[in-house]
Amino acid sequence: MDFSLSDEARMLRDLCRGFADRAIRPHAAKWDRECYFPVELFREMGELSLMGLLVPVEYGGTGVGTVAFAAAMEELAAADNSTAACWNAHLTIGSLPILHFGTEEQKRRWLVPLAQGEKLGSCAFTEPGAGSDLSGIETRALRTKEGWKLRGRKIFITNAGTEMSLGPLVLARTGENRFGFFVVPRGTPGFGIGPKAEKLGWRSMDTRELIFDDCLLPADHLLGESDVESIRQATETLAVGRISVAALSLGLARACLDASLAYALERRQFGVPIASFQAIRSKLADMATRLEMARLITMKAAWLHDRDEPYRQEAAMAKLAASELAVDASREAVQIHGGYGYMEGEFPVARYYRDAKVLEIGEGTSEILRVVIAKGLGC
Amino acid sequence: MDIVVCIKQVQDPDIPPRDFKVDEEKMMVVPPANVPPVISTFDENAIEAAIQLKEAKGGKITVVTMGGDKAKDSLKKCLAMGCDEAVLLQDPAFDGSDAFGVARALAAAVRKIGKFDILMCGRLSSDWSYGTTPLALAEALNLPSVTQLQKIEARDGGLRCERALEDGVEVVDVSTPCLLTVSNEMNNPRLPSVKGILTASRKQIPLWKAADLGVDAGSVGAGAATLELTKLYKPVFTGQCEFITGETLEEAAENLALRLRADKII
Ligand SMILES: Cc1cc2nc3c(=O)[nH]c(=O)nc-3n(C[C@H](O)[C@H](O)[C@H](O)COP(=O)(O)OP(=O)(O)OC[C@H]3O[C@@H](n4cnc5c(N)ncnc54)[C@H](O)[C@@H]3O)c2cc1C
Ligand SMILES: Cc1cc2nc3c(=O)[nH]c(=O)nc-3n(C[C@H](O)[C@H](O)[C@H](O)COP(=O)(O)OP(=O)(O)OC[C@H]3O[C@@H](n4cnc5c(N)ncnc54)[C@H](O)[C@@H]3O)c2cc1C
Repeated sequence: MDFSLSDEARMLRDLCRGFADRAIRPHAAKWDRECYFPVELFREMGELSLMGLLVPVEYGGTGVGTVAFAAAMEELAAADNSTAACWNAHLTIGSLPILHFGTEEQKRRWLVPLAQGEKLGSCAFTEPGAGSDLSGIETRALRTKEGWKLRGRKIFITNAGTEMSLGPLVLARTGENRFGFFVVPRGTPGFGIGPKAEKLGWRSMDTRELIFDDCLLPADHLLGESDVESIRQATETLAVGRISVAALSLGLARACLDASLAYALERRQFGVPIASFQAIRSKLADMATRLEMARLITMKAAWLHDRDEPYRQEAAMAKLAASELAVDASREAVQIHGGYGYMEGEFPVARYYRDAKVLEIGEGTSEILRVVIAKGLGC
Repeated sequence: MDIVVCIKQVQDPDIPPRDFKVDEEKMMVVPPANVPPVISTFDENAIEAAIQLKEAKGGKITVVTMGGDKAKDSLKKCLAMGCDEAVLLQDPAFDGSDAFGVARALAAAVRKIGKFDILMCGRLSSDWSYGTTPLALAEALNLPSVTQLQKIEARDGGLRCERALEDGVEVVDVSTPCLLTVSNEMNNPRLPSVKGILTASRKQIPLWKAADLGVDAGSVGAGAATLELTKLYKPVFTGQCEFITGETLEEAAENLALRLRADKII
């Protein structure tokens, strides 16, 4: 067994660490406070060829593999979970459906500009009445003479409303039990974008409601040669997103540990650093131990994915373990910081606490993941 | 324009002071666990300067370092940033070399590389800050040298260089081949792109031993060192905070100035 990263993966991780130190960490609090989506950051990431990590070289990406990708994601996520989450949405659900389902012509047309960082990717599954259970979606695509007519609403959609957005990939019902992904470029008549949602955390992320009011699309805007027969077929290639959200969670948990450790060594009460109290030490020891465990299962899932072996169970476990760790670690980080932890500004842990919660909700809620894992066990 | 850059891998200077540890007995700096070493700060400026010259004038950049296996990571980073080739000098005979020993080995490597127009180094290393290796290297290769540069401009038949000095800027014209040392005023080193990383990871880094360089083992290493380390310790800084006040802001500023003069700071 070999736990070391390849040279390439280490260099990518170091690049992301250096980039995060220089271009992200110093601004994260401001972006959060002002709910500002830093479009210039994503353009710079394009210049560093960071926007196509999971897309093969022939489509403008760098195809670094899932292990290297997860290591990179942890670095950005540790600096600012919110912008890292936008990056995650672009790299996974915003790009991969085109790679998996798209025709050669569709890949050239839409995937290449995404992977090269000219455009930002987004994907719309969720609706007011359908989240965990996507088989309940009501957005419909009707076949017309010229192509498709899209009607419905999507909510909580990341990356669709920025100036560099390509426009969402929309999951819609094409028949009784048939589904397809539709590319809806920005500015298509009948495609409306709601105001930016106000959120507890991930506040720099651009999250919106999308409205499709008899939105007409040419026939070639359905990804692939034809629609598919089940929701499972439409979404199953995207489980790599769970590994990615696990890595996002690891980054946040690590940031909590780093901040808490530094604070506990500095902060003195009763004449000694609070790190000398057993109660504080136990918290730090637990955080560090769970972080190591969650990272191991995340990397194992990534490694299985890279080897084309079954990885779904491990990916679900990784996302579950890492996201629950992130929430717990952020709560303890605030606790260790005492009153300072509750305040915004001087220390980042209040922001970590707000950012963490969503990790237990997106890409499969904790409850759904437990259902998936239990099913995997044979229940 | 062909350029050779000599770099050094050092302990990350950006670690928190509490992680900086010295073994006084062995007279060694104890590297912190889990913090990978990095390219010495000014050396990275030299790499960036070389890449910018290459982008403007074409040519090839070769990077050389002396070090252990980990030093390969620093060379790979240079390749990923845009350098063309890298060489690692590694031999037990080199262990414990002082600046002159290092310069002898580097000089032999530069001769082996062959033709070049500029040999570049950082102005100081971020670990010991001696700044002697580049000059010893210029001496060993009988090259003119200009140090502490903030700007290099290629002109017909030579280079125009600006030296960043404490009290101003000195402009020096120099013919090539020459040795230049680069200061941080010169540039902000770029990050390698992912594409650069992929290219770099496919490149081989040859390893040259003392024998490959024709370097006599007696002229390098601890035995040949002329520098003797007598004591190594971590200095203790004591801080004191004092508030300078006054009835008005102007008066407070005046009191501050008087106080600084009394302490011979201004
Ligand atoms: C910041 C943010 C960004 C997002 N970005 C996107 C995006 O880009 N694209 C997109 O399509 N979606 C996006 N989403 C939506 C996200 O994927 C959904 O919120 C998520 O899938 C959960 O669906 P829901 O909100 O409808 O909750 P529901 O499915 O209504 O769940 C409510 C509760 O019921 C529980 N529950 C549901 N079913 C079961 C069950 N069978 N057993 C036990 N418990 C159950 C859930 O675990 C949860 O606790 C985003 C959400 C957020 C918060
Ligand atoms: C919204 C808000 C309103 C407030 N209002 C007021 C107010 O009106 N008036 C006022 O005076 N104060 C007020 N406070 C301050 C509050 O009382 C303090 O934050 C609280 O007493 C904790 O002190 P601290 O923040 O200095 O944390 P610290 O005492 O530094 O504690 C940091 C961490 O170390 C732990 N710790 C400390 N000592 C030990 C030990 N011996 N063993 C184990 N663990 C230890 C703590 O449990 C905590 O986890 C307010 C705070 C907040 C957040």
